[in-house]
Amino acid sequence: TAHSDPNPNHVYFNSRGIWATYVIFIFITHFIVLSIPFISMALAWTLTCQIHNVITYFWLHWEKGAPFEPLDQGESRTLTHWEQLDDGVQFTANKKFLLVVPIVIFLLTTFYTRYDQIHFLVNALSLVLLAIVPKLPQLYRVRIFGINKW
Amino acid sequence: MSVKHEEQFEPTPYVVAIITYIGYVMLAVFGHMRDFLRNHGFEKNLIATEPARTKDFVPLYQNFESFYTRNLYRRIRDCWNRPIRTCPGAEFELIDRKSPDHGWSFEYPGTHTRAINFGSYNYLGFAETDGPCADAAAAATETFGCGVGSPRAEAGNLDLHTRLEATVAEFVGAEDAIIFPMGFATNALNMPALIGKGCCVLSDELNHSSLVLGARLTGAKIKVFRHNDIADVEAKLRDAIVYGQDRTRRPFKKILIVVEGVYSMEGSVTRLPELIALKKKYKAYLYLDEAHSIGAMGPHGRGVVDYFGCDPRDVDVLMGTFTKSFGGAGGYIAGSQHLVALLRQRSHSGLYGASLPAPVAAQVVTAFQMLMGRAGPPGEGARRLKQLEVNTQYFRASLHRLGVIVYGHRTSPVVPVMIFMPGKIAAFGRETLKRGLGTVVVGYPATPIIESRARFCLSAAHSLDIIDRSVQIIDEVTSLLLMKYSRRPPPAWTAGITREWAEAQLKLVDQQRRPHGAANGGPVPRRPVECRGDPPDKVADENDAAVKDNLAAVAAAS
Repeated sequence: TAHSDPNPNHVYFNSRGIWATYVIFIFITHFIVLSIPFISMALAWTLTCQIHNVITYFWLHWEKGAPFEPLDQGESRTLTHWEQLDDGVQFTANKKFLLVVPIVIFLLTTFYTRYDQIHFLVNALSLVLLAIVPKLPQLYRVRIFGINKW
Repeated sequence: MSVKHEEQFEPTPYVVAIITYIGYVMLAVFGHMRDFLRNHGFEKNLIATEPARTKDFVPLYQNFESFYTRNLYRRIRDCWNRPIRTCPGAEFELIDRKSPDHGWSFEYPGTHTRAINFGSYNYLGFAETDGPCADAAAAATETFGCGVGSPRAEAGNLDLHTRLEATVAEFVGAEDAIIFPMGFATNALNMPALIGKGCCVLSDELNHSSLVLGARLTGAKIKVFRHNDIADVEAKLRDAIVYGQDRTRRPFKKILIVVEGVYSMEGSVTRLPELIALKKKYKAYLYLDEAHSIGAMGPHGRGVVDYFGCDPRDVDVLMGTFTKSFGGAGGYIAGSQHLVALLRQRSHSGLYGASLPAPVAAQVVTAFQMLMGRAGPPGEGARRLKQLEVNTQYFRASLHRLGVIVYGHRTSPVVPVMIFMPGKIAAFGRETLKRGLGTVVVGYPATPIIESRARFCLSAAHSLDIIDRSVQIIDEVTSLLLMKYSRRPPPAWTAGITREWAEAQLKLVDQQRRPHGAANGGPVPRRPVECRGDPPDKVADENDAAVKDNLAAVAAAS
């Protein structure tokens, strides 16, 4: 690459308009789910929340390495995307943004599902387990029970 | 005018950036889907897979690392690695390839395409098969043979090398110089000879990977500063001096600022005068990599040091390569006697790698002599320098007027034109080739994700007619692909740059040379510098136009 940073995965999330694109993708997913005729509003919102959490979990916390060969001689091959963002520095603007978005979606979902118990339980579980816990700095490079280590 | 007024980097328009991201995400989604189909047998699997007997071993290939190559690059890989069958001068001939299976394999129908060459680093047009350089190379091959067969420290030091080093030192304005057979290795293997652990390297964000590798090999502490941001350099310098090394807080032994003269992906020029002032104030050292600027910038072609009018002795390490402007291969490091003597003893590339082959050394020496006016037709060096300067400014001004986003400095012969979207990268490469223009297109991850571009390298071998034709082709293609994103008016300096201006500038050089020609009994015919590997009927058009131009100019002036 032409940059000093051997892995472009460290810096691309700082580019112009990428936060807006992320939000736009969430909107698109939500509208697609809303257009399915026979599901209720509550189910639609819960589905959006679940789809978002599952997809972002796989994108940020499951797939390791980069989709191209970076120049860092394999240092990032065992790191998930979340650990590669901003070169592992914690509490950056990108990380705060990515942490806040699923929480906002969860709050909207609880509102639109009228605080129904089962919906709340399902959404809260997926929020905490898939979206919040993996993003905590205490879990940087931690692999529970060795799952997904190599 | 200060450097800042003559260069521009218009930022990506917001909507374009969002569409680019959506494009990449769609490519990723389809990539995952196709990978799934291939891995589970629904689709023919043409990728390299493990043989059956090692299926239970630790996996040899990591599938995810080749995701990009498999799903993005492979589909458009006919835009790169195009085989060339003539000398890469102003024009070249490409061997046609067709891919019946979307990029997995190629077929060669046996036809050829002639195209204008904007991909070669041929700034002064020395990529040619005849002329004083080629004659010197042939003579050297007959004297010394092709290879050398030994490192310089053992039996590979030819008198040609010593002559080349003296020529380089004189050209660049330094006390002494040392040459190496490979430009990349010059950076990567010599930085460890100069600095080590306990030193600090301040490296520009956009430095070439050879400089990055060299800095990492030294073991020194590397601090990266924002591209061309002198305030950032000063802040990091002060931090390095005040706080010293990481845990021990001991002062750094040496601080080296590493920059390039011209950055080949951006076309930007470094802020040399400010850097020299900074380095003197804080007692740091300066390493200037002039790979793309030596021979291509400055009124006498001596690089950015010449362009800014600085003293070459102020730059501690002057590094450059022979690949770009001199039609050869290899690199050099020039500086004080002490520096070069140290490198002769300590450089890994100099002690263990074979030395520069004789024909290449002869080619480069003759190229330098031509630039200094001591070889070739009289005034040829000045003519080439002027032609490059005029070509660069004329091409850049014409592109600015088209409305495409052009990055870089006014006098930089590297001209990036922004494409942004991944699909348009391939479309631009293919459409321009269809119309007879060979370009280099670059995308992510070699460039930032929203800044994919086509990069044009101007050459003194290009005539004004070629440039007009190319601008016309680019106009057609960018209208077709809706690439004219620029929201700014063309910069102020493009106001007077027209075809008439360009021809007047070139006539000036001709007039300065005419006394020689007249003394020899006639005007010196100005051929566009081109390869002799072309079929004669194709070359005739270019030559006729240029000779007619010249005769008309002579007739008008006399």
